[in-house]
Amino acid sequence: MEDQQNCPFTAAKSVSQRLAQEAVVKIMNQDIPKLNAIWLETTGCSGNIISFLNSDNPNAYEILTTIVNLTYSNSVMGEQGEAAFDKFLETLNTEFILLVDGAVSTNKDGAFCIVAYYHGRRITSYEAVKMAGEKAKYVVAVGTCASYGGISAASPNLSGSKSVGDVLERSVIRLPTCPCHPDWIVGTVAYLTTYGIPELDNEGRPLLFYATTIHDNCTRRGFFDKGYFAKTFGEEGCMFHLGCRGPVTRSECPRRKWNGYVNWPIGNNTNCIGCAQTFFPDGMEPFVRY
Amino acid sequence: MKDFSNLSLNKLLPMMQPQTWDAQNTCARMGIKMPEIIIDPITRISGFLEIKVEVEHNTINSAQARGLLYRGFEPMLKGRQPLDAIYFTERICGICSAAHSYASALALDQALNLRLSQNDKYIREIIHGFEFIQNHLRHFYIMLMPDFVKITSPAIANSRQYINFRLPEEVNRLLEEHYAMSYQYAMLAHEGQAVLAGKAPHNHGIFTGGVTTDLTSYKIVKVKSIINKIQSFVDTAMREDVDILAYYYPDYFKMGMSYPNFMSYGVFDNAEADISYVNPGVLVNGILYDFRPEYISQQIKYSWFVNDTTDELNLQKEDAYTFIKAPRYNGLPMEVGPLARMLISGIYKGGHSCMDRIIARVLETSKILTIMSKLADLINPLPNGQREYLLPEVSEGEGFIDTTRGSLAHFIRIKNKLIDHYSIITPSNWNLSPMDSNGMAGVIEKALIGTSIKDTENPVEIGRIVRSFDPCVSCATHLITPKGNKKIIEVSV
Repeated sequence: MEDQQNCPFTAAKSVSQRLAQEAVVKIMNQDIPKLNAIWLETTGCSGNIISFLNSDNPNAYEILTTIVNLTYSNSVMGEQGEAAFDKFLETLNTEFILLVDGAVSTNKDGAFCIVAYYHGRRITSYEAVKMAGEKAKYVVAVGTCASYGGISAASPNLSGSKSVGDVLERSVIRLPTCPCHPDWIVGTVAYLTTYGIPELDNEGRPLLFYATTIHDNCTRRGFFDKGYFAKTFGEEGCMFHLGCRGPVTRSECPRRKWNGYVNWPIGNNTNCIGCAQTFFPDGMEPFVRY
Repeated sequence: MKDFSNLSLNKLLPMMQPQTWDAQNTCARMGIKMPEIIIDPITRISGFLEIKVEVEHNTINSAQARGLLYRGFEPMLKGRQPLDAIYFTERICGICSAAHSYASALALDQALNLRLSQNDKYIREIIHGFEFIQNHLRHFYIMLMPDFVKITSPAIANSRQYINFRLPEEVNRLLEEHYAMSYQYAMLAHEGQAVLAGKAPHNHGIFTGGVTTDLTSYKIVKVKSIINKIQSFVDTAMREDVDILAYYYPDYFKMGMSYPNFMSYGVFDNAEADISYVNPGVLVNGILYDFRPEYISQQIKYSWFVNDTTDELNLQKEDAYTFIKAPRYNGLPMEVGPLARMLISGIYKGGHSCMDRIIARVLETSKILTIMSKLADLINPLPNGQREYLLPEVSEGEGFIDTTRGSLAHFIRIKNKLIDHYSIITPSNWNLSPMDSNGMAGVIEKALIGTSIKDTENPVEIGRIVRSFDPCVSCATHLITPKGNKKIIEVSV
């Protein structure tokens, strides 16, 4: 990827858009093929597909029509029932990206999450992840549940939820945060399409998006350095004493911000709750303390 | 309003025409197997739903709505910090997460005995309003429209199963354009929410005691601008689009009727007329009653739960077919959601068919935008009123609020400053409920029974009727155990 801008801040923020543009141009010039993709919702809140639909410039409609050929998604696909699952199975014989939205529940052989009824048999999400995970060119765990288990695997974890990486014996790209920011999904899909696997850290997160902690770039960092701490939400000062998990949480929220880049939790006077981290939520509680 | 207790269950039961399992049993005795259709996944909803129907002479004889996702949320909450409940429970649902944060904050406000400022209440309502708009836009265009309109782009929205789309080519093209445009407007609704609440889904703006937002004049102007943009789309495109659907699919005014029972916990229930929408109420056979929480009960006969008081599941349980329990109001199944609200508020005078339900949702979108616009005029640019909260040793709280898909309730019990018990009754619990021990089918099941299917190979009617309810299984599969009590619904796990 050519870095066309000199300022490191703006370059980092616009990386997803530039990757998407490159992918579009190369696909239109037929330099690279458009990849198929399966978006598989599993045990979770289906919030990552909603976050993906919140993509801006290009928006989700443009991405689905130009960059990637999504063939299966419980939330947006026209087909239903066996015809829908046929699409899933047809895709397995092609070159495709598997995007998993949710943890994989393993108790009772996965019976706590059924994704389809096919030819007289129920298909569990566990089975579907295994089927597609073994054949996919790339596997992307979208959101914290898919990446680490997340809320779905919170104690006592009656559903036996595990991360995608825990049930597949292969490399999985992790895109944590609850939900995942649309730019990280789009940027990763565009990178995979154009260049292949991006540089990852030791947990499988793309360094493009997860190289720094919230604390590194926090808008309230100056308060921390000078020792000004807030005692309640809304007070001026660093929210470390209120339980901010920014120092251990790898995400570029402070620079990129959310939903049209208008705001983010700390911008709204609340501390980071560490939703991008391995042990969220159990290891990140209490979220707030006085 | 009348008191519901005048109306006993025995009097109502005959009116409800309970679905009995007789037809099935008779056939089984005679060794006849009724042709059955199973559709799983019912796509374009949130979560995992399987619909099984039995068809005789092209008419649906019996129906089962099966929620096939179990997450065990309530046991997770036990022992956690009460203040964490808001950010924790909003993660139940990715499409209506602000609704859960709202109900959870209401329950905590009560447990901590906090009073909200008028400004904070209005800001909460605008945040919640954006969630309605985001939901309704996505549901109407992305989830429902491919049932009635041939969407060719993106390819994934196209279906090989629908072979008789009825719209003329030019009209179809117009709606396809609106489908594409809706992506931008739904996104914009979440942007509006983020301005006031940090991010969406899973906002940080609604917190106990009010909101965490420092409201500035700039934010108010930004929010108003977003509301205006969306409203112009809704009033010029969406309202016209639903009229078009109603014109070309008039038979759907005669299909998908469920019970004449509707319930709402109220939302935007402000005193001033121009910012009020619907007060709590129950409408049965056209008669409006007061809503009384102590009338809520639930059954597990057809759910995989072993009993009412533990999380224990038995997937081999006889007759059971779903993770969803069957909540009942004074023994009756209740339809909740936009149609229920529009009928209870008296704004919509139509019927309660599949198409009425779709129309009500669109009209509600416009109504809520109008209220949000007025609320944006009323809010003042003030810093947030957050302070340090002292947790009580023992306390209880409940939060009742109507949200996108209908009536949502959160209950919290605090002991030793920790969550001792938490329970949730979601809107889709009501609509997706299974049959109860009186033989009364759940709301969506009832709406399917009696439907005639033109082509059993492509039973498109089923998906259309089910989606008109905008079901959400991520929400529905939760453990609830309310027991009648005057002050609060006692809950125990």
